Amino acid sequence: MLTLCVHRQLAEFTLQIDVTCTYPVTAIFGPSGCGKTTLLNLISGLMRPDSGQISIDDTILFHAEKGIDLPPEKRRIGHVFQDDLLFPHLTVRQNLLYGYQFLAPSERKFHPDAIIDLLELNTLLNRLPNLLSGGERQRVALGRAILTSPRLLIMDEPLTALDQELKDRIMPYLRHIRTDLGIPMLYVSHAIGEILQLTGQVIVLNRGRVLAHGDFFSIAHQPKILPLLEAHGFENVLPVEVIAPNRVQYNNQILHIPPCDRRPGTHIFIGIRANDIILCRQRPAGLSIRNALSGQVLDIVETHGRRLVYIDVGKRLAAEVTPEAIVELALKIGDPVICLIKTHAIRIGPDVS
Amino acid sequence: MCATIPRVIRIKFYPVIFPTPEEYTVLFLSLKVGLLCVVISLPFAVLLGWVLARKNFRGKLILDGLCHLPLVLPPVVVGYLLLLLLGRRGFLGQILNDWFGLQIAFTWRGAVLAAAVVGFPLMLRAVRLAIESVDPRLERAARTLGANPLRAFFSITLRLAAPGVLVGSLLAFARSLGEFGATITFVSNIAGETRTLPLAIFTYINQPDGEAAAARLVLLSIILSLGALIASEAIARKMKN
Repeated sequence: MLTLCVHRQLAEFTLQIDVTCTYPVTAIFGPSGCGKTTLLNLISGLMRPDSGQISIDDTILFHAEKGIDLPPEKRRIGHVFQDDLLFPHLTVRQNLLYGYQFLAPSERKFHPDAIIDLLELNTLLNRLPNLLSGGERQRVALGRAILTSPRLLIMDEPLTALDQELKDRIMPYLRHIRTDLGIPMLYVSHAIGEILQLTGQVIVLNRGRVLAHGDFFSIAHQPKILPLLEAHGFENVLPVEVIAPNRVQYNNQILHIPPCDRRPGTHIFIGIRANDIILCRQRPAGLSIRNALSGQVLDIVETHGRRLVYIDVGKRLAAEVTPEAIVELALKIGDPVICLIKTHAIRIGPDVS
Repeated sequence: MCATIPRVIRIKFYPVIFPTPEEYTVLFLSLKVGLLCVVISLPFAVLLGWVLARKNFRGKLILDGLCHLPLVLPPVVVGYLLLLLLGRRGFLGQILNDWFGLQIAFTWRGAVLAAAVVGFPLMLRAVRLAIESVDPRLERAARTLGANPLRAFFSITLRLAAPGVLVGSLLAFARSLGEFGATITFVSNIAGETRTLPLAIFTYINQPDGEAAAARLVLLSIILSLGALIASEAIARKMKN
């Protein structure tokens, strides 16, 4: 358990945070410049809070009143940076072992070979970082941090610099680390879709303050959270039950999803972006889209120049449509509509716990 | 007969192109002074280069200016200031002499110091630029991986700045080979003690039959300086790849 109670004056605002992060994975979500990176730097000791305290399990990392301030090298926090920050003059193997070599043998929880296998780095070991692709670099950075046997792995938007295909390839590795290695994680991202693939425990941060903290699905609809989500590609989140490897059930309606490895009967969350939903009046014929949820228009709102239609399909769903489309469909509150969703627009989230 | 041949040609046909033992002494003294000047400057250049590259503080501009002063001051002025400070009656010179029996002025040690002071800005500049070009976040990453500040600096920043440090060292070395004004002012021109290549060349030129010796030493100077410059370029290129 990571306990944070910190205060730090920044150029634009004050970072004032008082939260407890539970294991195994807590995500910090917030727009760019909300203080996420600063918070991680405070945790790993690269920056100093003006006041407050930081402790992890029973170890105090920082305590202003008691004058405790462990230097970064004594904190045992694995910090994965947004830019991988691999050492350019060292080979992949030397990069991986850089932190490992500082540990006493008794402190080494993982064998390098095991981590190299897990992250599939075998063929890259003798290369220099400049010859690696973005995804490979980030995997090396991950392995390097894990091999320091950290108490906590903190990740600062590790996937942001990668394209979607690479993100999808790295994500299984992160789930492996969470499930198999048992290293607690603090995962920072401004993409809620990414977060939901790892955890439902979210701390929402804006301008240095914690707006909400807890299960994403219970805080997402709070009025102060929603605009943040909407500004960053709103994701509709639905709890569903897996009934086949590529089908889930939601309120007696069947949805086709990309193949997933969950067993039938499991309850999971799925995410759909607002602009991946197509609205129509009648269920169309001769269309490749497999998913059609029927519901009723709840509300039509405009935020940040975007027109969102909220539809009640058992839970509130937001769809982004153009003003012209609203006029053409003559959408009014209370009208029945069909929401069309492409199978591959659906993102698979974590289990419902 | 001989008298009718112009002097220049006589030099050209001088039978011995190999340096005499006396000239070898000059060469070895120059090499010793050059190498030692690099060795004593290097720790200071790395420390100051790091301070100037990474730290922000009041008076940084003044420190920067002071460090670069020997580059723009006439070497004679540098030599004279060293003499004032480290001469027998100088403030530091007196202390060193009385307490440690160490004399700097008019010895080869003084020649090393003069060369070091004059060559220092060149080395510092190269080191500073090299450290500035290393992403400071790499060192921070090393810290989170368990490296203490010194270890992180040496294994990451300095290692990545190594080509620049080496180039700076070779520049300072080459500069020391050419040092004349500060040396002759501070430690005079004592054969076997402070008579380095430029001073020896100067001496031979002023002697009636010194042209041949001067020519040989000039050739040596060119070879050495060119060698140092080419080596610095070659090493810098190799380390970048």
